[in-house]
Amino acid sequence: MTQELRDKARALGLDRLTGEHLKQFERATTAMDRHLKRLPRDLQPAREPAHVYRAKGEPP
Amino acid sequence: MSGDLAYLGLAEAAELIRAKKRSPVEYTTALLARIERHDGKYNAFIALTPERALKAARVAEAEITAGRWRGPFHGVPYALKDIIDVEGLPTTAHSRILMGNIARRHAVVTERLEAAGGVLLGKLSTHEFAIGGPSFDLPWPPARNPWNRDHFCGGSSSGSGAGLAAGFFPAALGTDTGGSIRNPASMCGITGMKPTYGRVSRRGVAPLAFSLDHIGPMTRTVRDNALMLQVIAGHDPCDPGSADEPVPDYGALLGQDVRGLRIGVIRHFYTKDIVGNPEQVEALDAAVKLLAESGAEISEITLPALQDFSACGQIILAAEAYAVHEQWLKERPEDYGARARERLLAGAALRAVDYLQAVRWRLQLRDRVTKEFASIDLAITASSMDPACRIDDDEALAANYWRQARMPFNITGQPGLVIPAGFSKDGLPLSLQLAGHPFGEAMLYRVAQFYEDATGWTKRHPPELSD
Repeated sequence: MTQELRDKARALGLDRLTGEHLKQFERATTAMDRHLKRLPRDLQPAREPAHVYRAKGEPP
Repeated sequence: MSGDLAYLGLAEAAELIRAKKRSPVEYTTALLARIERHDGKYNAFIALTPERALKAARVAEAEITAGRWRGPFHGVPYALKDIIDVEGLPTTAHSRILMGNIARRHAVVTERLEAAGGVLLGKLSTHEFAIGGPSFDLPWPPARNPWNRDHFCGGSSSGSGAGLAAGFFPAALGTDTGGSIRNPASMCGITGMKPTYGRVSRRGVAPLAFSLDHIGPMTRTVRDNALMLQVIAGHDPCDPGSADEPVPDYGALLGQDVRGLRIGVIRHFYTKDIVGNPEQVEALDAAVKLLAESGAEISEITLPALQDFSACGQIILAAEAYAVHEQWLKERPEDYGARARERLLAGAALRAVDYLQAVRWRLQLRDRVTKEFASIDLAITASSMDPACRIDDDEALAANYWRQARMPFNITGQPGLVIPAGFSKDGLPLSLQLAGHPFGEAMLYRVAQFYEDATGWTKRHPPELSD
């Protein structure tokens, strides 16, 4: 496990993670990176997120 | 206990109780005895509340005897996933983090079930905080599959699925953020509805991810599921995600056939995006054939790839869940089980912009789905790609989590209903999923009931529990 990973966890306030927890953090972050790579790059600037999500799409 | 009481459905029980042919006290007593006898093998319950249950059953019996029948839930036993509050009882979320947490008031769904006269038997096992499981490093063991106790029973509403398949109760509630009602429904051979987002109040239920969380009924049959949704559905002005939509009669379309219905098959989910287990694919093909031969107009539709829904959903889920758990993860990381801790830490380093891009992407995905659904009445696809794997096979469990087609309908908020669709050669349940238009649950019940009547899969029960 790298010092970089420990520093990253510390910077996030996760000071109490043990060595085993840090390995889990690393696996979780790696898995998340795979999802992030699929984020589309072509979202239109005007496409606004729903602030409170509605299944039918109308704003509240 | 006689098998007829163990596997008595909610609708049947309601008729017998109303007609005073069955006593709620006798029914409750019989189920409690069955749970005492068998649950040591299946761990469906975290906490059984027999005194409370018998008291409620006696009250129900007195009211019904006096001619004050409240409706189909009156005097009928049920159980709740242990992330749903019941005033005066612990809500643990199956976690050390919440040990000693006593609910100060009922969740809205609990209020509704209590007002309907239901008899709460106890609180059910879940994956820790509805995200991490099955786990052997928690204060309570994980639930096991009644069709084969060496196998996974799905999750996170694991005790709900296991308890229904075991004949411990006819109705339970589960929650579903990325498939947690529909996964145990698939693994345990029962019926699980994730209703439309906002259809059922989430107030008093421990959140996992605010914009993806749904509460829904889990039962053995379609008719029972419709009856339970009728009780819990409705607007809650204090839940910011709640929808102010009229509640229809969910039983209104039951008994109708499928002639002329336009059913879209989302086949690429289980043949291309993920290649399903051959037995599962065969079961889906057989279901589509049956519906076509019964007069439904079948067409194939194409949605974005499952991997896109999965990625979008996991980013949103991780960010929202971390917002709930950040303080505990900072102060008490050792109090989580390993699986939940790892899943929750996925949100720790996410950037705000990634979350926002995922939320923007979500609307794009939803719009694509809405466009495809414009020409159909409902869709059919897979829920799980495989029958239940062994509960001690970490590799298979890790794969199992992703080999599913449930997240699309958490992303869009559309209703998704899972029903049994046969059995593998090893005797494990197979399943199918129906997805509808927002607030179109009644249509899903119509088609599911037709299929259930035509196939009879729900009449089978685990051989291990035949007594």
